[in-house]
Amino acid sequence: MSIAINQSRLRLYLPALPIVALAFLPVVVLVVLASGEPLSFGARNWRIFGNTVALTALTVGGAVLIGVPLAFATTCLRFRGAGVALAALAAPLAVPSYIGAFAYFAATGRGGELESILGFAPPEVRGLFGTAWVMTLYTFPFVLLSVRASLRRLDAGLVEAARTMGLSPLGAFLHVILPRIRGGLAAGALLVALYTLSDFATPAILGLDTFTRAIYVEYNAFGLSQAAWFSLQLLGLVAVILFFESRVRTARERPGRTLRWTPSLAFASGLWSAVGLIWLSAVGLPLALFLLWLRREGVSGFDLATLRHSVVPAALAAVFAVLCALPLARAASAGRIGRWMLRLTSFGFGIPGIVMGTVLVYVGLRLPFIYQTTAMLVVGYVLRFLPLATGSLREGLDRIEDNMTHAARSLGASPGEAFRRVSLPLIFPAALSGAALVFLEAMRELPLTLLLRPTGSETLTTRLWQVYEAGYFGEAALPGLLLILASSLAMLLFLRSERLLGLVAESEA
Amino acid sequence: MNRRKSLQLLAAAGLMGPAAVLRAATDASVATVDDLPLISGPLTLYLGRGEGGLYEDILDAIRKRNPGLDLKVRRGPSSALANTIVAESGAGVSRADVFWAIDSGSIGRVVGDAKVRQLPSAIRNLLKTDFRFDAWAPISGRIRTVPFNTERLTREAVPKSIMALPERDLEVGWAPAYGAFQSFVTAMRLLNGEEATKAWLRAMRPKARSYAGEFGVVMAVSRGEIDLGLANHYYTLRLKKGRPAAPLDLAFTRNDAGCLLNTSGAVLLSDRPQAGLFVQHLLTREVQSYLSREAFEIPLVAGIQSPVGLPAISDIHPPAVDLEKLANLRPTLDLLRETGVL
Repeated sequence: MSIAINQSRLRLYLPALPIVALAFLPVVVLVVLASGEPLSFGARNWRIFGNTVALTALTVGGAVLIGVPLAFATTCLRFRGAGVALAALAAPLAVPSYIGAFAYFAATGRGGELESILGFAPPEVRGLFGTAWVMTLYTFPFVLLSVRASLRRLDAGLVEAARTMGLSPLGAFLHVILPRIRGGLAAGALLVALYTLSDFATPAILGLDTFTRAIYVEYNAFGLSQAAWFSLQLLGLVAVILFFESRVRTARERPGRTLRWTPSLAFASGLWSAVGLIWLSAVGLPLALFLLWLRREGVSGFDLATLRHSVVPAALAAVFAVLCALPLARAASAGRIGRWMLRLTSFGFGIPGIVMGTVLVYVGLRLPFIYQTTAMLVVGYVLRFLPLATGSLREGLDRIEDNMTHAARSLGASPGEAFRRVSLPLIFPAALSGAALVFLEAMRELPLTLLLRPTGSETLTTRLWQVYEAGYFGEAALPGLLLILASSLAMLLFLRSERLLGLVAESEA
Repeated sequence: MNRRKSLQLLAAAGLMGPAAVLRAATDASVATVDDLPLISGPLTLYLGRGEGGLYEDILDAIRKRNPGLDLKVRRGPSSALANTIVAESGAGVSRADVFWAIDSGSIGRVVGDAKVRQLPSAIRNLLKTDFRFDAWAPISGRIRTVPFNTERLTREAVPKSIMALPERDLEVGWAPAYGAFQSFVTAMRLLNGEEATKAWLRAMRPKARSYAGEFGVVMAVSRGEIDLGLANHYYTLRLKKGRPAAPLDLAFTRNDAGCLLNTSGAVLLSDRPQAGLFVQHLLTREVQSYLSREAFEIPLVAGIQSPVGLPAISDIHPPAVDLEKLANLRPTLDLLRETGVL
């Protein structure tokens, strides 16, 4: 009996194996590349390491400082328009952070757009603190949403009991509330850290030497071993974050009444101004800037082919990601080995785009038939965004695999038939949302696209990058707005498809 | 009236001989676009980050004239594309037909380390005699200059030697991340040696303010934020075109890296006839005078007028530097990082 089960499991594991191997390939290539020449850990390396860690720490700190109070305010306070406030605070997720960086780059400092509007030049946003500020603006919603999820699970009765028994408000916070939101807080903070580590364009535009920027510089000098060496160091940092992330437990508690207070009018208006200020800084500024440019310069500089070059590879990536995710998700539902396989492939999401791009250029030069083709770009997207598709599919599969397929099997259907006639129709919605997620993420991806795109096909993101490099900001308007649109759709799906380490699912359920 | 006045000023300062103004006459020997056959077929161009829209305008004009041409362009920083070509060549992969780069350092890297085609003599002979090379075609010239603020400084206060600049009590603007600046430092390394260059960078760093690009440097000079800057000549000329009254003028050092004459250039990477024909298009009277008139770049085929506002090259004394040697950028970057400039 047990042998029979193992065989049937094996049948599920085998198709997933080549995909796991492919997903793990980048790490192998990096090790090979980095061992190409003796590597030193000089002063420059320390500086880059320091910058990367400092940026991540500042961003996480900033996101916690902004995210936690606002999570309390939007969960526990009763005030008019709380839903609007929450939407405004989640909206920065819909703006890729490099768009924000681009907007701040163009708007602040001497000769910036704001100088011509305000009459004086606001200080230039750049360097460590400028980059941390911009990164914070676009990542604090991760903390906000995850802490909200914990707060909503918190039973107000516990807090009231603690207060009745003589704990001060601070004591109640420290001893009752904090232990219960710690998990959510950690999950959100780690997500912020992961995002900050892998972001390429934001530090690059704002002039901070982080690992991603250094990898791009080395790649441009075709110092591939040096680029690989930096990449491995960056992956080390990512691995640390992923390790902590796997240890985070969010306590499951019996649901109760949510904590609720009614704030004073003065407090509520203070809160509203904070929300407004954050929305203006993160979303209002880029939107206003792009609309201003659109009005000033029109759409004449925009080539419709750019949109096509963004959409076609992203759509292909979506289809192939789901096709690859299917055997993986089935394997993961089958047992422990399968879950390990899934974890290995999910490492791809942790590999920053710039690293994945460098690896695939190296691979491509050895396989000239695929070098600089759309196929290569699609492979890159699939490897990077596969976990988004497997995540969606797994949820679909978990819901059905056990009971219904067993029923089908006991009624005489073969495993294939059970899958085709029972599972597949049921997981179709999950597959669709997984595909959409991959599609939209691929649309807004920059560094990988920059390195792998076929010659002559500029995408929305590479066009934006070029405009930044050439300094003809006006032409960024339409690509920028289209990217914000695509990202908004991605965010809505994100929140709906109950992904994101499961934390949004619990907060909005 | 203002442009005229600045021309007179330049002439009065002895910087511009009348020859530069008279050189307007066209030369019958320069090819015009109409002399060339149409280009047809596929062509892949690696285009080093150009001067924004100006190079795009040239590509559009070439596309328009040659409807049979299927032109694919890969854009990026010149040095990045040069390294891509070298890596592709090393792996036996060939993708680009033509490489058009904005600095000769990148060209030198490709000529030195990748498989390139010899330049047909028909193309070579289009160029002025000083600019004929076996494996690449210079397209346009640019010269390192010292733009200075005329309200804060007289021309005499600008040192004639770039090496003397650290001794003066002047506020300087530069753009260390910009390729042309790095080529300038490379030239200094070649002319004065590593140690002197390192000492110069160290001494300059406390006096210098960094800008993202050299147009930013020139704007800062015109606003009086700094006394003088280090920049390619055309940024000043472009700014003066828009704002002729700006208190800004050009000074030149003599016979050192401070007045390096650098060029953009093109390399043939395949035997396709359309590749050579494309480069020939870049050396026609139309494209060359467009580059001179609109981008204020120095034309390199005989008989095209130099950009307005620039003294004749014969009155400037650029150093003798092997342009292809400017490709050795890594020691320069190391030096810039070591001294904390970059």
